[in-house]
Amino acid sequence: MHEASGTGRVAVEAARAYAGATADISTPTKLAGGAMHDSWAVDATRGNETRELVVRVSPAGRADHEKTQREFEALRVAFARGIRCPEPLLVGECVTGEDYLVMARVAGDTNPRLIIGDGRHASARPRMIEQLAEDLAEIHRITPLDVAAAPGIRSPEVGEDPLRFERRLAEDAYRLQVLNPHPAIEWAFRWIDREIERLEPPNRDHCLVHGDFRIGNMLYDEQGLTSILDWEGVHIGDTDEDIAWLCTRVWRFGRNDLEAGGIASREAWLSAYERARGRTVDRSRVAAWEVLQNIRWAQITMMQARAHLDGQTVRHELAAIGRRTAETELEILRLAGVEERVARAG
Amino acid sequence: MQDRPTATELLDALGAFMRDRADHARDRWERFQFQVAANSIAIIGRELEMDYAFMREEWAGLDALFGTEPVPQVQPAFAARLLERNDNLSRRIATGEFDGEREDELLAHIWATVVNKVRIASPREIP
Repeated sequence: MHEASGTGRVAVEAARAYAGATADISTPTKLAGGAMHDSWAVDATRGNETRELVVRVSPAGRADHEKTQREFEALRVAFARGIRCPEPLLVGECVTGEDYLVMARVAGDTNPRLIIGDGRHASARPRMIEQLAEDLAEIHRITPLDVAAAPGIRSPEVGEDPLRFERRLAEDAYRLQVLNPHPAIEWAFRWIDREIERLEPPNRDHCLVHGDFRIGNMLYDEQGLTSILDWEGVHIGDTDEDIAWLCTRVWRFGRNDLEAGGIASREAWLSAYERARGRTVDRSRVAAWEVLQNIRWAQITMMQARAHLDGQTVRHELAAIGRRTAETELEILRLAGVEERVARAG
Repeated sequence: MQDRPTATELLDALGAFMRDRADHARDRWERFQFQVAANSIAIIGRELEMDYAFMREEWAGLDALFGTEPVPQVQPAFAARLLERNDNLSRRIATGEFDGEREDELLAHIWATVVNKVRIASPREIP
């Protein structure tokens, strides 16, 4: 049954391309998650040696070969530095249009509701926030030169404030996806522009940014973090972008008392990062990034609803996400101090 | 006029069905699907109940910013004109028209409008 479906067949081909034509390849098992790709667990056996693999397959039409190559290259550099992430083994594409990424399988769970709420994981949470800080600091020590082989990696100009650069890209994406007018978001762009003028630009070199550093992309067990997944969004930019993304309201899964991913307080997260990195984090700049990151999430909610409305992926849950734009606007206004301003002006 | 059940009563029945299916789902995926469906039905219910009053409030807020305009008496024309007025507001914000002393006035309107949207779309997000 699995062999019949397209991406499962690709997973077997990819495992064979990695392990060799004589290897014995197990029937692939589909793993949870991923709207854009299918991930398969598969074992490759040669003689008495078995390698446990994950093969992530992007279906033809959605496959972006350059992006997959870029992710492979970032993983290669990160894994070599001892960052907890899947060991990348092979990247490739099929004549039928799919592309694939073969990685070593790491044990653990990705369901964010377990690490956030489950009693068995209570002692893992404080350990995990330290591990996330250590590994994120290490990711941020990767320079643009270190990942020069990653094709098409986006980057601000040398000396340009990455917040200014990413804010511009966010507005381009918003204009492309917007379904109806959003005065709150229009105002938030003005607010960010003023913050960029007001705040000290970061006095540091650009670095590698993971680009989707949130609890749902972490693999963990009862001992804490085992692997950082989903490096699709890697780019060159500023540290504060990743630091803020972990704090955004949507990725706390309702645990709003623990602002850092639903597992730690914001201050515990920021000070863990400061210890790991050995320098201070400017809270005001993280705050400006967090507004921008929420604008991005608002834009993603529009994009998902649009995928349904355009008939590209007709699914009621995508339609429903479109109504989450409103709560995101509310969060943007709160973060930019509008609630207090309105109460004061009363 | 339609017979009972009313639209609201029909939606309540559908919502209860979806929640029951979620409670007895075979796996995480199926539970998620039915939870989202129940949630969408609840949004429609709240919208039927509250949205007309919220749209009138929004209209009054725009009147306060831009001057009074009579409310179109036919519902589709009302909604269409409200959309145009919001489009116009968005453009004027983007060009910086509200950057100065009128900003507090603008923010009071935006805050009230967004809070009302959230009351319908995700009321749990309002403390």
